[in-house]
Amino acid sequence: MKTKILVANRGEIAIRIIRSIQELNYDAVAIYETPDRDSRHIRIANEAVWIGNGPRCDYLDIAKVIKAAKSTGCAAIHPGYGFLAENPLLAKACEEAGIIFIGPSSGTIERLGNKVTARRIMAEAGIPMVPGTQNLKAGDAGSDEALEFGEKYGYPIMLKATAGGGGRGIRRIENKEELREQYVIARSEAKAAFNDDSVYVEKVVVQPKHIEVQIIADKDGKTVHLGTRDCSIQRRNQKLVEIAPAFSLSDELNEEICQAAVKSAKAANYFNAGTVEFLLDSDNKYYFMEINTRLQVEHTVTEMITGIDIVRTQIKLALGKELLFGQEDVNLRGHAIELRINAEDPQNNFMPEGGKTINVYQSPGGYGVRLDGFCYQGYTIPEVYDSLLVKLTAQGWSWNETVDRLKRCLKNFVIAGPKTTIPFYLSLVDDQDFRDGNFDTSFLETHEHILKYDEPKNEVDKLARLIAEIHHKKQNTYAA
Amino acid sequence: MARITKDMGVSKTLDTLRNSDGYFITNTARDMSQSDYKNRILLDTDLKAAEAREKAGYFSLEITGGASVHVDILRKQVDPFLKLELLREKMPNTMFQTLCRGVNLFGYRPYPQNVIRLTVKEFAKYVDVWRTFDFMNHIPNMQAVFEEVAKAGKINEPCICFSTGPEHTNEYYVSKVQDILDVTGNDIILCIKNHGGLGTPRRIGELVDAIKQTYPDIIIHYHGHNTDGNDIGRITAAVMAGANIVDASDHAFTGFYGPAPILSVIQTLKDLGKTAVGIDEEAVIASSDAIRDERKYYDQFESQIKGFLPTVQIHKLPGGAMGSSLEQAVKGGFLDKMPDILHKELPEVQKDLGNYWSVTPGSQILWTTAVSNVQEEGDRYSNPSGDLKNLLLGKYGPFPFYQPADWIYEKAFGPDWRAILEKEGGVEDIEDIDIEKERADLQERLEYEPTEQQLVTYLQHPNDAVEFFKFEDKFGKSYVLPPSIFLRQGGFELGETIKFKDHNGQEHMLELGPAQQNADGGANLHMNVDHNQRVFLFEPEQSAGTVAAAPQLSKKEIANLAKTGDIRAPFGGNVNKINVEVGQEVAVGDQVAIMEAMKMQTPVVSEVAGVVSEIYTKIGSALQAGEKLLLIEQ
Repeated sequence: MKTKILVANRGEIAIRIIRSIQELNYDAVAIYETPDRDSRHIRIANEAVWIGNGPRCDYLDIAKVIKAAKSTGCAAIHPGYGFLAENPLLAKACEEAGIIFIGPSSGTIERLGNKVTARRIMAEAGIPMVPGTQNLKAGDAGSDEALEFGEKYGYPIMLKATAGGGGRGIRRIENKEELREQYVIARSEAKAAFNDDSVYVEKVVVQPKHIEVQIIADKDGKTVHLGTRDCSIQRRNQKLVEIAPAFSLSDELNEEICQAAVKSAKAANYFNAGTVEFLLDSDNKYYFMEINTRLQVEHTVTEMITGIDIVRTQIKLALGKELLFGQEDVNLRGHAIELRINAEDPQNNFMPEGGKTINVYQSPGGYGVRLDGFCYQGYTIPEVYDSLLVKLTAQGWSWNETVDRLKRCLKNFVIAGPKTTIPFYLSLVDDQDFRDGNFDTSFLETHEHILKYDEPKNEVDKLARLIAEIHHKKQNTYAA
Repeated sequence: MARITKDMGVSKTLDTLRNSDGYFITNTARDMSQSDYKNRILLDTDLKAAEAREKAGYFSLEITGGASVHVDILRKQVDPFLKLELLREKMPNTMFQTLCRGVNLFGYRPYPQNVIRLTVKEFAKYVDVWRTFDFMNHIPNMQAVFEEVAKAGKINEPCICFSTGPEHTNEYYVSKVQDILDVTGNDIILCIKNHGGLGTPRRIGELVDAIKQTYPDIIIHYHGHNTDGNDIGRITAAVMAGANIVDASDHAFTGFYGPAPILSVIQTLKDLGKTAVGIDEEAVIASSDAIRDERKYYDQFESQIKGFLPTVQIHKLPGGAMGSSLEQAVKGGFLDKMPDILHKELPEVQKDLGNYWSVTPGSQILWTTAVSNVQEEGDRYSNPSGDLKNLLLGKYGPFPFYQPADWIYEKAFGPDWRAILEKEGGVEDIEDIDIEKERADLQERLEYEPTEQQLVTYLQHPNDAVEFFKFEDKFGKSYVLPPSIFLRQGGFELGETIKFKDHNGQEHMLELGPAQQNADGGANLHMNVDHNQRVFLFEPEQSAGTVAAAPQLSKKEIANLAKTGDIRAPFGGNVNKINVEVGQEVAVGDQVAIMEAMKMQTPVVSEVAGVVSEIYTKIGSALQAGEKLLLIEQ
């Protein structure tokens, strides 16, 4: 009997994983909730199991996922991203059920999922962290300690209540006068709010770039990196544009960050594919943020520049194979950019356009183009899941070639029905700062003009619209 | 003898006309378009003919004015100024001529003096010959135009409107010419404006002769229509009697109600020993050849009634109004009543209303009154339009021969008609408007700063101009599309390729198809636009059931509701103006809105005193009779 692998996910990533499973000549088993009954991932899989009415509860139900895997005789489960991907309990349930979990061990997921533990492991391994103090001493001694920190690392800094959280008990301090003023107030407020007046300070990373490193490790601890990615262009902390390798970093810095990532992975005793995330400040200092213990949405850009199928590798490693390539085999070729084409209205605060039917779907193709999507003409986008329709990834030898290729693809991409982020990206690829590689996490806030695009407005498009109306209405009502 | 060219200047042009042995020809392309194709001949077609028309050596090309300015923006979606600019590029030497309705400009009712002056000033940048008329032959109504044309250094061509009947004697017209010359001086061309194509060749010959006898140096431009098929006879008689310029147009497009064919005029007169000065006959033929293939696309705008109408001598409708009148008859479902309207009621109404000249806007008043009288079945003048009332009050000018009978006034204004006439009668002095305020209003509606030309277009027909500017914002400059595309009926073939040059001269290729019907009733049309895929989405059409059907109210019911403050549309038409706001106090008799149908405006007045509590409609909305306009709480 063929080896079967269950894909515990939906949408484009389910299809992405199914493709690798099938290329390995295994069978892929899909699961789905009722709102996803028309999803293409079900059609592409070799088998599909309905696991409940959902929405978004059955995909999160470990027992149902394990049951589906068992009933279909699956040897392994790939969790994709989101849903149960970083829930150590699924990995654990797999381990207990004798099913291979394609990813790190439940222990690794748990340790790295706990920010405090993760920071401790990385600090011990000597990975750069955002500088901060322990709890400040009581009284003036604490104030002096904070001032000393400010002197050493520079302002602005964050004054944080140790017992705070979720954005509460945090204040941004711009200079030492402000620090003196705020210190006492912060303490008394912390006391009042959390019944604990402990506070500490941490450096603020101003307008950082989001840089991450794809790492991959086998059971023997052989760990290689697949280069950097820049995911700085985000809105509300959700990535929109991902680039590999990180653009406009010096080779030395790039190498240093990659080595730090490998070191982080080794410190965490990491197995399988993962991503080490860093913040990079304007002085090119980088700080560890977290390790994502799963496949990332943006893994495609790394695959495009390395030629390494990360999902295929993940599966083979999970099934006990060793890494067939070493660091010296990893060569980065050119640039790759991924755009997340979402069913959203960028001009209406990226409001999701779920519930709409895709009346037309025409995708671009050609050299250096990759599409990871799941939509089709006539598909109604469920309102209950995320709005990602398709990831457009372009690869090119030079940065400019890559951006031009993206632009060409965007122009030829037709999705009619819902509004999409395509016109927004068309506006983005023409932005000079984007072209020059000048972007950080504040990019969208500082480049609001990108959102003020017009729908195509040249003469021919306007006249084409008129001709379309003359055709549709069987006469020119403006001449009647 | 050399032709007349645009840059000769007024006096040299007039001298050339006076001293030439022969006659000149104006190509009245605009009048042909208006009379035989409801004004729909597109700029594209005129541009196709431009080169040959330029070479043909006409005295002028009549290409703007009349209803064309309005139809340019309303139905042809072309800027009336841009049109002239583009034609000028291809026709550097030929003078452009307009037809101006005096105080009514290119519209249907009097404009303020400052609007008239600004309009003439802007158009005079492109227009060399200004044919100006007043439907009452009331000279003061043309005064402002005369002055501005002279100021701009262009040629004034004042008209005497011509008609037939016992009052329409040579003596009358000769004295009218004197009235004109008293105002303009002698440096003019006098137009005999025979917009109906009325009278026999002999009658026209006698009139030209009578004028020439009195004013031997006067330059006469005869303008006629071929409605009865006999305008070549009248043109011939005019030239033989001494007329200097005559009107005709390209034979490829001549129809039944507009101008006669130029070539037939030339041939007829040549045989009589008269030469068409400056004319290149080959180019005359070439003009027609250049556009002959385009004519088929205008079929849809040709008159519902085919053939010459010699009965025009009875009903006197001007050629320029034939097409639109017949169209209204079809749309209004009273085509069967046309014989009654044209041959019985209309001549009667003309006599009733003083036997003035049936030309815009007077012809529309005669026409709508006749239609209304027939539809009221015997109760004539019981439903007078606002414009008829204004006519009766003398707001357009004094009646030339006699005032209508008292009973008509009584029908229109009620028993107190004498007091009303006493109080409100006479030519209305229209106050200047605040043009800067209009400019600001337009800017607000467009959301950008309008050009001077846009402002002038707006001042002619505000609502339609705004619609047009918004059309251009949305669809671009669509004059580049030929009639085969712009006027296509029944849609395109899927797979059909459309090629055109845009306003910037860039060539484009569009390929249509495929098209899909969506489950929700909407549709998609795919189009390959310069090798880029485009898809156009069409929302599902609103099914008839979802639109609230207009209440079927009788005139009486509408009148009764008005007495309670529930003001309904008194007839089907467009809301032209709303004079009140919610919360405003109104008194009995206050004008609260203006409705417009068939180009005629009718004020809606409040029957009650109270406060406006609801306005159900907006300017530009098309309402059916009985639909809610506004509510006044007493």
